[in-house]
Formats: sequence, C-alpha cells, structure tokens
Amino acid sequence: MGNAGREEWQDEKSELLEPDSGGTKPGLGNCRQVRRGVGLSPQTGITHLMSMILFFTASTTGPVILILERRTRTLDRLMTAPLSMGCLLFGKTLVGVVFAVVVAVIPLIIGLAVFHINVHNPALLVGVIILSAMSFSALGVWFGSFPARSVGTVMMPSTLLRWPLLFVSGIFIPLERMPVWARIISHISPLTYAHDAVTHAVSGSGCQPAVLDVMLLPAFLILFLFMAVRLYRRVRRLGY
Amino acid sequence: MSPEGSPAIEARGLTKRYGKLLAVDSIDFDISDGEIFGFLGPNGAGKTTTVMMLTTFLEPTAGTIRIHGHDLPRESLEARALMGIVPEESNIYTELTAEGNLRFAGKVYRMPRKARKQRARELLEIFGLSDRAHVKAQEFSRGMRRRLTVAMALIHNPKILFLDEPIAGLDVQSARYIKTLVRDLNESGVTVFLTTHQIEVASELCHRVAIIDHGRIATIGTPDELKTSIESVQTVAVTFDAPEGDGIPSLAGLPGVNHEVKSGNGRRLYTDSPADVIPAVVNFSREHGLRIIGLNTLGPSLEDVFLKITGQEVGSVTASSEGEGKRGGKRGKGGMAG
Repeated sequence: MGNAGREEWQDEKSELLEPDSGGTKPGLGNCRQVRRGVGLSPQTGITHLMSMILFFTASTTGPVILILERRTRTLDRLMTAPLSMGCLLFGKTLVGVVFAVVVAVIPLIIGLAVFHINVHNPALLVGVIILSAMSFSALGVWFGSFPARSVGTVMMPSTLLRWPLLFVSGIFIPLERMPVWARIISHISPLTYAHDAVTHAVSGSGCQPAVLDVMLLPAFLILFLFMAVRLYRRVRRLGY
Repeated sequence: MSPEGSPAIEARGLTKRYGKLLAVDSIDFDISDGEIFGFLGPNGAGKTTTVMMLTTFLEPTAGTIRIHGHDLPRESLEARALMGIVPEESNIYTELTAEGNLRFAGKVYRMPRKARKQRARELLEIFGLSDRAHVKAQEFSRGMRRRLTVAMALIHNPKILFLDEPIAGLDVQSARYIKTLVRDLNESGVTVFLTTHQIEVASELCHRVAIIDHGRIATIGTPDELKTSIESVQTVAVTFDAPEGDGIPSLAGLPGVNHEVKSGNGRRLYTDSPADVIPAVVNFSREHGLRIIGLNTLGPSLEDVFLKITGQEVGSVTASSEGEGKRGGKRGKGGMAG
C-alpha cells in the first residue's frame, strides 16, 4: 500500500472510530460518513443492510436452535436416529437459511418499493442470498456444535469472532481502501464474498469477480459443516 | 440384515475413560434376542455411560459393541434403525401435537408417509392418547408425556427398546400401564434393555439383571439366581397392631437377630435362623402387650443382593438410623437414586 492509500485508511479509520464532538456516542453509530450520509446511496445502504442481516440472522440461528434442542434433549433423539451427523447438521443449516432469507428480503422489499432501487441481476441476487445464508448458517451450526447448554455461553465468543469479520469484509470500508493486512484477513471471511456478490447482483460491479464469490460461498458452507461434524465426533468420543 | 442367531446386544471389553476417570472398566455381556435385561447400579457406577455407548451417543475408549451383528460405531446407522430409545427425561417436541410428534419421529426413521400416519394412529390408540391426538404436548401431564415418549420410540417397530427409568415419578396407574406395556412388547419379540434404580421393577420385569458398580459388572444372572447367591440372608418381617411412634422397643437384642430395620409400621429382622427368631418375637409381643398382625419369613430380595454386591451390608441400617433410609448403607453411598 502506498502513502496515499495509507492516508486514506487513516482518514477512514478516524472517521469510524472518533467520537462526536460531545463525545457521548460510541464510534460506529457516530461515524461521520454515516452521520452525513456521504456516499451512502439507498442502493449501497440496502446492499450493506442485506449483507449484515444475512450474516447475523443466519449465524445466530444455529447456536440458538442447537443449544435449545440440546437442553430439551430433542437433539439426543436426532443424534441417535439413523441419520448421519452431516445430514442432521445440514438440516439445521437450512433452518437458519429460511430465517435469514425471510429477514433479509425485508430491506430489499423496502428498497424496491420505497427507494426504487434497481437490481442489476435479480437471478444472481436470489442465488447469492441463498448461498450466503447457507454459509453463514453453517458457521452458526459450527458455533452451536460446541458442547454448551446455555445460548449465552456460545453467543459471547461467537460475537467476538463475528464483529471483527464484519469490519474486514468491506461493508464499512471498501476492500480496495483497506490496508494490506486487513485485506488479507478479509479473504478468510465468508462475509467478504457474500457482500461482494450482493453488490455485484444489485449494482453490477464488485471488488472481485462474481464467479469467485459464488464459488467460494459453497466452499465455506462445506468447510463449516465439516468442522461442525468433526466437533460433534470429538464430543461423542470424549463425552463432554 | 443382522446375522441369524446373533445376540441382540454383544459387548466385549467395553471401556470408557473421561480423562483420568475410568467410568466403565472393560465390561462384557450378551443380551439375547427377546430378553428383558435389567441394568442396575448406584449413582456414578457407569450405567448411563454404558447405555450411552450402546445407543451410539458416545464412542467407547476401547472394546466392541454389536447390535444384532452390526458393529459400532462402523455400522451405527444400521444399528440405530433397530433401536428405540426412551431416555430418563421425556424428550418430546412440546410445540407439536401428540400425533405431530409421532409423525415427526416416523419421518426421522424414514418411514413412508402412509405408514407413519397409520402407525401414529395405532400407537395413539395403544397408549390411550387418541382423544389428545391433536393437543399440543406442552399441555400434557408427566404421565402422558412419558407415554408419548415411549410411543415415539416404538414408531418404527424397533427390535431393541432402551428404557431409562421408565416409570420414575409416575403415578401408580401410569407406572402399571408402562410395566404392562413392556411385558406386551417383549411378548411380541422386542428385546428390552431396562436401566433403573427401582429394584422392585427390575425384579418384576426382567429375565436377567446385571449389577454394575465402580464401572465393572459385579454380577449378572436371573433375579432368582442372584437371590440364591446370598440365600444365607433371611428375614422375619413382623408387624404390630400399634403405630410405630408408640415407642415399640427395639427387637435387635432378641436371640438370633443380626440386624433390625424399620419397614413401614413393622420391622424386618435379619437372621441366619428364622426358627429361633419367631418364638422370640412372639414372647416379646406378650411381654410388651403388643398384638402381632403380620409375621412372615422372607428370602433375600433383589435389593438385598444389590446392597450386598455394591458393598453395603444387607440389613446394616438399624432402626435407630432409619432417618438415613434403608438404602444408605454403611458406606453412605447415597443409595441407588439417579
């Protein structure tokens, strides 16, 4: 990254993190860009909102349903039924997908009806919403696979992981304006590819090829499900 | 398909270690097809861990398990299809109706839609839940939830039924209902693996019983065989026509009495020679102006066997320490609860 890029990043960082003049509000809601509405067209705003909603809704459903089912022992019933662990966890992933898609469609409808935004590629948007929800939901299923009996036990560490991902995924700061280290981290976040793919579908352009985004989202789904199955096997072996 | 003539359950060298704790220590047993097998043990003896391994919920640290010839965990899906599992806590979906729960259970076992609908109705009828078929399970009493849990375990006509404390906390009517059902199921060819700490239930229902203690099978056999193994222990049960609070003196000092245990409004006198104890009890009642309304000689109960095997001396709890309960024993192991 050159000097110009570094300066831009410093500006962006200070905008994000500096409190307002009264110093009473925390950084994010207080971001000057957000306050002034600079560069935040309805189209961009809806894109950001959809990405965030998909990410948080889908990745929250897994821990909630798995841990509640563990507590009511209905998960034991499923775990001793003739179903493979992968099949069972994929089913739980689909539950998260349904929730996330239903919630994420709300800002889209508002965007279309109220702000008259144009969706560049509707078919791609539908596909991307479903694929993103699946990979985020699988991430949530992985969180829910830790042998906890209270939702809070899992939600706190999962939040610690999810918030940093949100910051490096190009939602608040465009990827091309991030420092190199942040851009490297952004590549391990499924949200980076989901957000980029949603941007492609809505605006027709993105930071990286849409094909790459669309190919990597299922890869994340498989990776997270694999990790969740491994974790359940470990729990089964060690008997936590 | 399971190989012909193979035992319903076969466990060899079954071991489970949780870190440094050896919960189950290389146990072996076979359970024949069509048997009701009772699995008893005090708290922390390794009962639950063993059942969890048999039902594929946990992987053993060492040893092998075969369910109708299917090796675990390699063929766990095939083995699970043959099992019905009733855990200690009823695990029904409270937001679903009774019929909804049954149909969902059928779906999990990949039963065709028509078959699961028919079987659900059949089970609702058998379990006396037909009139509540469309009521959400959250409105069910404990007994009804229990019945529904058992019904869900039977939806796919399993060959082996694992029952964990099937009648714990149930009223007399529901308990009798479940016991009758277990017998009926067994008559229809279902193998039953019963885990309980209610020894009288095991004694009443089981063809064979295993007692596990400190992770090892302490003994295994029919209830009669186990009782015979400690036949030296006999008791004289006497009941007086007086409330226990009326200050009936202790009978522990009578000739031939080894131990005395309060039992309801009577006493159980442990002895090696009932013939010596009976006349002494009769004399005692005359001397104290008490009327005997019941006098029986009894062989050892399965509970006595359990206490003896788990290191709690039979009849060791005397009338004076009744507050600790008959199951307390010398080692204060907390009996068989849980």
